[in-house]
This record gives sequence, structure tokens and C-alpha cells, in this order.
Amino acid sequence: MTLEQPLETAPPRTLADAAEAHLDEVYGYLLYLTRDRETAEDLTGSTFEKALRLWGRFDPARGTARTWLLGIARTTALDWFRSESRRRRREEAAARPERVDEAFVEGLSPELEEALETLSAGEREVLALRIVLELDGDATARVLGISPTAVSTRLSRALKRLEERVNEG
Amino acid sequence: MTVNEIVDELRASRPRASDALRLQVLAVASRPAAPRPSLLDRFRGPRRLVLALPVAAGLAVAAAIAVGVTRPEPAGREAAAPATTVERLAGTSSEAYAGPSADASAGAMKAAPAPTTGRAQRYSATLALGVDDTDALSDATQSALGIVRDLGGFVVSARYATGTEGTSSLTLRVPSARAADAVARLSTLGTILAQDVQIQDLQEARASARAGEVQAQLAAVTVQLGQAETAAERARLTARRAELRAQLQQLRASRAATTVEARTATIQLELRTEEGAAVPLPASRIDRALDRALDVLAWEAVVVLAFAVAAAPLALVVAAVWATRRTRRRLEDERLLSS
Repeated sequence: MTLEQPLETAPPRTLADAAEAHLDEVYGYLLYLTRDRETAEDLTGSTFEKALRLWGRFDPARGTARTWLLGIARTTALDWFRSESRRRRREEAAARPERVDEAFVEGLSPELEEALETLSAGEREVLALRIVLELDGDATARVLGISPTAVSTRLSRALKRLEERVNEG
Repeated sequence: MTVNEIVDELRASRPRASDALRLQVLAVASRPAAPRPSLLDRFRGPRRLVLALPVAAGLAVAAAIAVGVTRPEPAGREAAAPATTVERLAGTSSEAYAGPSADASAGAMKAAPAPTTGRAQRYSATLALGVDDTDALSDATQSALGIVRDLGGFVVSARYATGTEGTSSLTLRVPSARAADAVARLSTLGTILAQDVQIQDLQEARASARAGEVQAQLAAVTVQLGQAETAAERARLTARRAELRAQLQQLRASRAATTVEARTATIQLELRTEEGAAVPLPASRIDRALDRALDVLAWEAVVVLAFAVAAAPLALVVAAVWATRRTRRRLEDERLLSS
């Protein structure tokens, strides 16, 4: 398994430049995290709204625009998870089923898609950052707020589980 | 399916935002962004402490330096003189005596006051001198004994001890007329650490007048005794005469003792070798300004420490609450992401 890193270009001058460069990555990360396209799109919009408010504080010396945007996306997603958790608790009494997309990522084989759904959000998150978006260990650690070693451990655990689930099916 | 195949498939199916989302996000991102926050805005909440602490420390140091440089010199601090006291007791007025500084002790000590000529006075002086080492201590002790003999005096007691620190304590008696000379010469044997000169009038004149009165009374009683006619009167006058004779004898003895006491002066000389015994040379203006600045800084540190001690419990509670909230939030995030 090789994890090539795309070379980080010069820091974007405007948020529009950053959005142009990293929209797909933010969206992809949120999609893996939430397993729902509509939710991922909503959260992507919210992420860039927040980013617009905070753009003045972005310091390229402290990290790339990509990790900065993914950090905001993560905070936005966690806020959403919290509100979802509260909503779910309220709705459990009404026995309303949770809405999940059948195929949240286009182009994946059904086995892999199914296996991904069995993983936790935390496992999907590290897969999205390290494998799909190809962030290096340090950048991923910065986004997740954990150490690079913990990132590595989580990644290998997630891949192992994914492999087991795919092959079980 | 191997891990490599899974990775390849995941990368090949990298999600792409829809055109609608792209348009929406670019519309948001193209809006004018909030202006870059000022330095103060960047340091919000607890972060302001990061900015405030060095600023406060800088202000404290600047204030200390300003006070150290601008505060006027305390009177009499120009030269750090050793403790010097001169007292005149019983009748004569107290007089100020300019004590010698370390570098001019010999010359200054020549101004040591002498007892008043023609009066019976008790003269006592205490002199503490610092010397460099035990060799110097021995030499100074020998010289002191020599000076006293030279002036016609004698040694009442002497104690000489050496070890990590050396001391030599001498109690000397010199003729009162040469007391000032003795003090001046002894003060050249080392660096003056402290000196104390006391002169006390012994009131010999009053004692002499009283003796004269008693003598006159005795003469009168003797005359009366010669003219007495009755045995009873003779017995009374005889007893009175004996009483006056005893009184006169006592007064004469007292006057003789006073005369003897006034004839010699007592000098208590102490020589020391311990570290720091020497009086430091007068500090320069910059050194004194630095000293004052350090004093101010020390006081500021005391105030800050007192404030910290008072605020510490509250700060601990705040820190504990903050840490608890942070840990709870992290655990909640973990829980949310594990589902």
C-alpha cells in the first residue's frame, strides 16, 4: 500500500481559491463521516460559511488551507452528530427509522460499500483522510486532534476491519 | 479482496461535490471575508493571559527601573559609614560625631572626643574592627597591646580565639587624658565596623561640696561639745560627732574612688576576621539605582505572590472546570464517532 502525497501548492490568497482547490476533499470527508450525501452537502455549505467568518484568522504558517478547512468540517460534523444524537433520542420514542443512503459513495463495489457502512464514523473518518484524501499522518493528526501514532493505529485497525468485512461478505 | 485492492478502489471512487454544491460554496466563498482580526482580537479569553503576562512583567521591570533611577538618594547614604555613636551623659549636651568611612577610618577617628579637662568623667569606648585574616588579627592584637603600654595603660582582660573565624576581645585601660589618642591609634589597626564612645560626668564637685558641709557641721558640733554643761547634752553631741565623722569618711572614700575612676578610661576593643566583616566600599550611583530597582522588584514580587496565593484556589477551580469540560467534550466526540 503506498500513500502518495499531492504536493501542496502555494497558500490560497482568497477563500474562493481555497474552496476551488479543496471543495471535493471537504465534501468527500463529510460524506464518509455522515454516510449521507444530502447531509454531507449541507455540512459542506456550513463548513464554508464558517470558513468565511474565520478566514481572517487563517495562518498559512500554522498549517495548510486543506487541514484548516478539514478541521472546520470536522467541528461542523461533530456539532451535527451531537444534534442528531439528541434528535434520535427524541425520535426513538416515535420509532422513526434512521435515514441512511443506500450507496453513499458512487463507484464502490456493493461489498465494499456494505463493509464501509459497518464501520464506525471514527474509522470511516480516518480512512477518508488517510486513504481517500491522501493526507499524511501529521496533517491527519492535526485535523483529528490526536497524535500521528494514534492515527496510524486507527488506520490499520480500520483497514483490517474493512478487509475482514469485505471478505466475510 | 486485499487491503491494497480496497485502497485502490477507495481512491478510484473519490467523491466529487455536485455542480450545485460547487456553485453554492463558491458563491459563499466569494463573499467579502471578515477583516483580519487585530492582535488583541487574536488573543481572546484565556489567550489574553499569554499577552498580558509578558506585558505586565515588562511594566513591572520598567516601573522598578524608573523608581530606582528617579528616587532621591536617602540622606547620609552617600557613604556607607559604620555605626558610630558618641554620647555625653550627665550634664553635657549630646554631640554629633561624624563617623569615619571605611576608606578614611584613621583620619576620621582622630576626631574622637576627649574627656573635658578638669572634670571627673567616666570615659568608655567600644571599638569593633575588621581585619583580613588570622595573621592580621594576631598582628593587630599585638599592636593594640603595644599602643596601650605606650600610652601608659594596661590590659584588664584579653580573649584571643581563631578557627574558621578569628576574634580578639580586649578590655583596655588608658589614662583618661590619652583616651582620645588611644581610640584614634587603635582605630588604625583595621576597618572600623562599629564604635561607641560614652563620656559621663561623675559629679565630683557635688561630692566635694557635701564633704565641706559635713566638715563644717563637725566643727560646730565639736565647739558645742566643749561648751556642754550637762552629761545628757554631752552624750547627744558625742553621738552626733561620731555620726558626722563616719559620713565624712564615707564621702572622702567615695571622692577618692571617683578620682581613681576618672583617671583612666576603659576601651573595649574587638577585632574580627569573619567574612563580610569589612565594610563594603561605597556603591556607585548605578549600583545604588540598581539596588533600589531590585528593592522595588522584590516588593512587586511580594505583591504578585500574595495575589497569586489569594487567587490560587479560584484559579484551580476554574482550571478544573475547564479541564473537565474539555475531557467530557472529547469523550462525547469519541462516543459519537464510535457509532
